[in-house]
Amino acid sequence: MGKLWVIFVASISIILPFLCNSFSPETPTDRRVLVLLDDFAIKSSHSLYFNSLKSRGFDLDFKLADDPKIALQRYGQYLYDALILFCPSIERFGGSIDLAAIINFVDSGHDLIIAADANASDLIREVATECGVEFDEDPSAMVIDHTSYAVSATEGDHTLIAGDDFIKSDVILGSKKIDAPVLFQGIGHSLNPSNSLVLKVLSASPAAYSANPKSKLSTPPSLTGSAISFVSIVQARNNARILITGSLSMFSNGFFRSHVQKAGSPTKHEKSGNEQFLTELSKWAFHERGHLKAVNVKHHKVGETDEPALYRINDDLEYSVEIYEWSGTSWEPYVADDVQVQFYMMSPYVLKTLLNNKKGLYSISFKVPDVYGVFQFKVEYQKLGYTSLSLSKQIPVRPYRHNEYERFIPTAYPYYGAAFSMMAGFFIFSFVHLYSK
Amino acid sequence: MAAPEASSAAVPTLMTNNTLRNAFGGVLSFFILLLIGVLAFSIRLFSVIKYESVIHEFDPYFNYRVTQFLTKNGIYEFWNWFDDRTWYPLGRVIGGTVYPGLTLTAGTIWWLLNSLNIPLSVETVCVFTAPIFSAFASWATYLLTKEVKGAGAGLTAAVLLAMVPSYISRSVAGSYDNEAVAIFALIFTFYLYIKTLNTGSLFYATLNSIAYFYMVCSWGGYTFIINLIPMHVLLCIVTGRYSSRLYIAYAPLVVLGTLLAALVPVVGFNAVMTSEHFASFLVFIIIHVVALVYYIKGILSPKMFKVAVTLVISAGLAVCCAVIAVLIALVASSPTKGWSGRSLSLLDPTYASKYIPIIASVSEHQPPTWPSYFMDINVLAFLVPAGIIACFLPLSDASSFVVLYIATSVYFSGVMVRLMLVLAPAACITSGIALSQAFDVFTRSIKFQLPGLSSNTEVDAGETSSATKEAQNDAVKTEKAEETSKDRPSRKSKKKEREHVEKPSTKTKAEKKRLLALPLEASVISLLLLVFLGAFYVVHCVWAAAEAYSAPSIVLTSHSHDGLHVFDDFREAYAWLRHNTDVDDKVASWWDYGYQTTAMANRTVIVDNNTWNNTHIATVGTAMSSPEKAAWEIFHSLDVKYILVVFGGLVGYPSDDINKFLWMVRIGGGVFPHIKEPDYLRDGQYRIDSQATPTMLNCLMYKLSYYRFVETDGKGFDRVRRTEIGKKYFKLTHFEEVFTTHHWMVRIYKLKPQKNRIRGKTKKSKSKTSSTSSSKRSERGLFRHGNVFGGKEAQNQFCISSILGLVPCATTGPPKRQI
Amino acid sequence: MGRSSSTKDAQALFHSLRSAYAATPVNLKIIDLYVGFAVFTALIQVVYMAIVGSFPFNSFLSGVLSCVGTAVLAVCLRIQVNKENKEFKDLPPERAFADFVLCNLVLHLVIMNFLG
Repeated sequence: MGKLWVIFVASISIILPFLCNSFSPETPTDRRVLVLLDDFAIKSSHSLYFNSLKSRGFDLDFKLADDPKIALQRYGQYLYDALILFCPSIERFGGSIDLAAIINFVDSGHDLIIAADANASDLIREVATECGVEFDEDPSAMVIDHTSYAVSATEGDHTLIAGDDFIKSDVILGSKKIDAPVLFQGIGHSLNPSNSLVLKVLSASPAAYSANPKSKLSTPPSLTGSAISFVSIVQARNNARILITGSLSMFSNGFFRSHVQKAGSPTKHEKSGNEQFLTELSKWAFHERGHLKAVNVKHHKVGETDEPALYRINDDLEYSVEIYEWSGTSWEPYVADDVQVQFYMMSPYVLKTLLNNKKGLYSISFKVPDVYGVFQFKVEYQKLGYTSLSLSKQIPVRPYRHNEYERFIPTAYPYYGAAFSMMAGFFIFSFVHLYSK
Repeated sequence: MAAPEASSAAVPTLMTNNTLRNAFGGVLSFFILLLIGVLAFSIRLFSVIKYESVIHEFDPYFNYRVTQFLTKNGIYEFWNWFDDRTWYPLGRVIGGTVYPGLTLTAGTIWWLLNSLNIPLSVETVCVFTAPIFSAFASWATYLLTKEVKGAGAGLTAAVLLAMVPSYISRSVAGSYDNEAVAIFALIFTFYLYIKTLNTGSLFYATLNSIAYFYMVCSWGGYTFIINLIPMHVLLCIVTGRYSSRLYIAYAPLVVLGTLLAALVPVVGFNAVMTSEHFASFLVFIIIHVVALVYYIKGILSPKMFKVAVTLVISAGLAVCCAVIAVLIALVASSPTKGWSGRSLSLLDPTYASKYIPIIASVSEHQPPTWPSYFMDINVLAFLVPAGIIACFLPLSDASSFVVLYIATSVYFSGVMVRLMLVLAPAACITSGIALSQAFDVFTRSIKFQLPGLSSNTEVDAGETSSATKEAQNDAVKTEKAEETSKDRPSRKSKKKEREHVEKPSTKTKAEKKRLLALPLEASVISLLLLVFLGAFYVVHCVWAAAEAYSAPSIVLTSHSHDGLHVFDDFREAYAWLRHNTDVDDKVASWWDYGYQTTAMANRTVIVDNNTWNNTHIATVGTAMSSPEKAAWEIFHSLDVKYILVVFGGLVGYPSDDINKFLWMVRIGGGVFPHIKEPDYLRDGQYRIDSQATPTMLNCLMYKLSYYRFVETDGKGFDRVRRTEIGKKYFKLTHFEEVFTTHHWMVRIYKLKPQKNRIRGKTKKSKSKTSSTSSSKRSERGLFRHGNVFGGKEAQNQFCISSILGLVPCATTGPPKRQI
Repeated sequence: MGRSSSTKDAQALFHSLRSAYAATPVNLKIIDLYVGFAVFTALIQVVYMAIVGSFPFNSFLSGVLSCVGTAVLAVCLRIQVNKENKEFKDLPPERAFADFVLCNLVLHLVIMNFLG
């Protein structure tokens, strides 16, 4: 007890200097992570995973989930930057943590990793539902797959599944291909297809279904096929990232080290893909990859340098923005060719792809349309796995002033001539009239 | 001036007497005019005395804001001003859509005063512009009526106009609207037209065009002038009163007037393209044809003229018909036949309600009720017919114009209550003529019968009488004996009379006069009664000015047993907006409050009183009529941050948004067909109580008006609709209330931002988290429930019998949270 | 025979018109010439507009209206100066001319403003 207390104080005093460079917009990688466990055995049985995190510079704080002293925030300040919930069977958190506290934690921009298991409690399921992921309602169901199970010692146990239906994204899973399948044993979840914030990272094969492995199947299972997701990610609108999986044992040392052979396939991989998969995924979840920031939005008329307060129709203008990506340690220029800017007034009048100079500066020049009104420069960039960029800058566009039209219109010369001839005629006529008898 | 055949010795004294009288009369009338101006100015100051020097209503706030911009930035910036703080995101080109006359006038006055080092603020100048110009308008009425009938009628008409309530209602101090200067311009233009007609001088024709230009700058009602004058010209031609003076009065006005009207950006090419102006061009052509005919008639012998006529008629008729057919085809090709919506609704009063709900919804565009005639022009309603008859005896060009003016303005005022204002000058002119004629008759009867004065038959002989005179004397107030005179009749005063003798000998005249003078007593009594009539009119006008028309409508008052209550909620809300929101935040409200919001709260609005874009207004109307989620989507797409709603249910303020709601539905439904008016009515009735339709109870306007209203008195009794509201307890999911004024008259809501996460579909189970209501017993995840809407759903509480049968069912009383 | 009588009538009419017109004084004829010039210019402009189209409509309008306005004002002057006209016999011709000049000044000022 005293030891724990000393450790606690020490960790706090170590953390304090890092308060200024913990999670902040300048250095978005998380630093302090609270890990809630069902019991401390997990700390050792999942040590490979935790060590990989520590080696990247994270401060892990292990606590029992019902420890009465745990708290996410004190006096309005958050004590941690991320939360890992490896406590699938917890009914009630200790201390001041509860469902609302976790949700507020996420809503204030912090990341979350949740691992459920076959005995997942209602609370964990609630947290997952709040994030947009729905675990199977049957508390005793597990995912069973009779065609993609991993060949294992226990015969007929098809709950240990070798999944290899990965999402195709270098940002999320790293550039190196994961050769070996990933071992999974736990409950499955499904996503609402109309929910645009959640993504399936590892989906089940079409033959999978979720049912109680110990009892006979009486009714057709509700969750079947590729709708089942093993591992999902959620990127909230404030760019908080959540990783949800239904198998805590996926993170275990045993699964990391074991060999895997998918049923029906001859290859036997020496090492499962779990370590690579989960390490890369954690990198994504903790903002070491795929985190963008856009700064220095500038616009000006072609040929000038300062920003005008409003434009005129048919002006030529230039728009530029700088986008950087966080590499885990520093901001690197982000290079892509699909960033677009809209000149928007209830619908985009101009839509242009920004050209980049490979150093993070994106710019384009275009002509203001012939319509006046209050426009916006809108950049809405939502790429799979990257943080969403949503920039908008309002600028009015005015019509021509009365002296900005053409001064003399050639087709109107006859009219000018007629008017002047009238004046001349009047002049002459008045002379004639006055002086004629 | 023909001197009568009296003794020659009397002539010089007569002349000096008369010039002395004339001079005295001139001075007296000058002072009377000055007093009339002061009267016109001061009777409009009630609102400043009773409330404060503040700008009233809605439209004047926009004019005030424009004037502020003009005084700050100068005329070139004003001319090119693109306003991005209104009609977001479309913006509005102010330079091209506003009638600049009023703002330029006030700006000039301000600039003049400031350059003379009199530091009046722009607001003060704006507030007092209208009374000043009403003084000018009464002087213009004097001039106009003097041209028609003479100085006595002129003074009477001026006094009547200074006080007539319908003009007061639109030109009270603080009512800084177009009509304040437009009525002056109208009367002045008419005066110059009549003056040109009477004198035939091109100089006055030029001035007429310039005055018409000022009128075009000031008000959209200038189309009345450009249609009335051609009608009058046509009338003169048709009644055989064509003369070259008519040509000089009309033709330069058309050419110069069209040019000048096209100079004003608001009118632009409409001056030649819309049907409202076609009458002037048509009559222009007609008058040229007539002039040509008269000219040829003058230089040819009658026989040849007949030949010419037959030739022209046979050949020219075919050409004429072809041209007219082409014109009609052109005009008929446009759906509204070239008329604008507002003008069409004048001609066909049912047009607007069928096709353009926005025009029909403006309260000023409704037809007036009969009592409003008595309220607005009072006694003049009786005097007008007498004046019309007086105009006919004798009929001159000017008096036929007055008759035409009064006839058309009576028709138009019957269509739209706002045009009672155009009726007012006409009514004052005709009543002035009638009153002064009546006074004339009576005073002359008295004077004729008083001894000592009747010997001055030469002086009396200034009046001529025609044979067709009826000298009844039955009723005293209503029947007046008509006198006719070709020249200017006598003044209002009993003592002075001018001498113009044109008719034959005085003896026959005197005899005729003896026959046709009214008895002395009758004249005296009728004179007294006429004075009482005038006093009654004055009392009514002062009462109307003080009580009925001086309310600024931005501040409301009510008298209760404990004194005067002032409801200053509008300004409270605008000040809150001004101080508690960002400069670039957009505020959505119904279009009535747009001008005030931009002027006082200085925030960008979505729609305002200019109502030029029906689709935009329909978008806002649809949003107000939709359920919360759909409304949130619409407002989010318009970048709206705040919504402003006016609610009068707590204090009984009847012009709130719930009363205007059906118009929102109609206007929205006119553009978006999924909004259907019958959905909001129960059996054709508009209700908000428990019998209201679900669409009504779920729409945004209902929710924003009545959110938490039940907390005020426990029952939710709406004082305007006089019922309890239907849905009392509800929560807002997409909006949050940020401000409600002291008397709940203005309520401001904020759009909630989009949710950070999208929740899964599984229903929430009982929560073990912090709960403050009663009965907590946390059962561990044994079963899940349907939707338990935390809060006071007293009406809709339904019983979920738990498996363990633990908690009794609560149907009444304080709601308990069930498990 | 109706045709021939009408042509004969037309010819007789034409002759009488001509003779009557020849009797008008010279200054009035000068004014008539001026009016004709203005109307002619207006017609040319209308024909031009019909060919080319009405693009700078304000220029077209100001051109045509300046011609029409000049014509109208000249006719007004003619009316006022004409000695046979009873109504204006006590109007000095100088006053008539001064009014004419003023009105023309206003007209041309407005035309200049509207032309561009």
